[in-house]
Amino acid sequence: MTRATDNIILRTVARVMIPFIQIYALYVIMHGHHSPGGGFQGGVILGASFILYLLTHGLKEAKIRMSEIKAGLFSSFGVLIYSGIGLLCLILGSNYLDYGKLSAILKVAPAQARSLGILGVEIGVGITVMAVMFCVFFDISTGGELPEDEE
Amino acid sequence: MDSFFLWLGMGLFALVLLCLYRGVFGPGVLNRIAGICAIGTKTLVILLLMGFIYNRVEMFIDISMVYALLNFIGTITVAKYLEMKGEV
Repeated sequence: MTRATDNIILRTVARVMIPFIQIYALYVIMHGHHSPGGGFQGGVILGASFILYLLTHGLKEAKIRMSEIKAGLFSSFGVLIYSGIGLLCLILGSNYLDYGKLSAILKVAPAQARSLGILGVEIGVGITVMAVMFCVFFDISTGGELPEDEE
Repeated sequence: MDSFFLWLGMGLFALVLLCLYRGVFGPGVLNRIAGICAIGTKTLVILLLMGFIYNRVEMFIDISMVYALLNFIGTITVAKYLEMKGEV
């Protein structure tokens, strides 16, 4: 069971750092096709920010921000984005995840459609990785037993 | 200049091995934590030196920032684990 810390330094540092960590994670996801990084790495950093919140503020407060149900929904939602874009390309008469055909929907040149398509896929991967990272830490810290809402 | 960075990186690598010895065989848990944190910091510097060698610092600085961040969170976790015996 993760308990909340009453150390004022730790709480304040976490409160100040978490928004910057999340901005940086979004930068890594969005900039993935120009520099190192991408969906998985950005998702790990995004998950690390939630893990930092869970470590410093305890399980009870963290469940308000990101509960187990929400994490499960997010993890399936990311896979839905990924496979949805892939299936959209399949429906438009091309191979699975062949983003060039998306230019018919997005009304841009095929090269730009490829860039936007891979950006969408990376956003999906990032959401899934973030939720699964949080789920893994959540399950380990609660010892595998899901705590019921006790209020 | 490149060979200077190269030798600097190799020296840091030797220091990483010394820290690894302290992390594996170190008496007590606190020595191990200190060794592992020092390895994280040295890895960050080695990554930046690799960026200088390949002339692509702006790429490697992203990775090193992530490394510093994860190292910070790991240290907090271990410290919290030790504060209350066996409880994060």
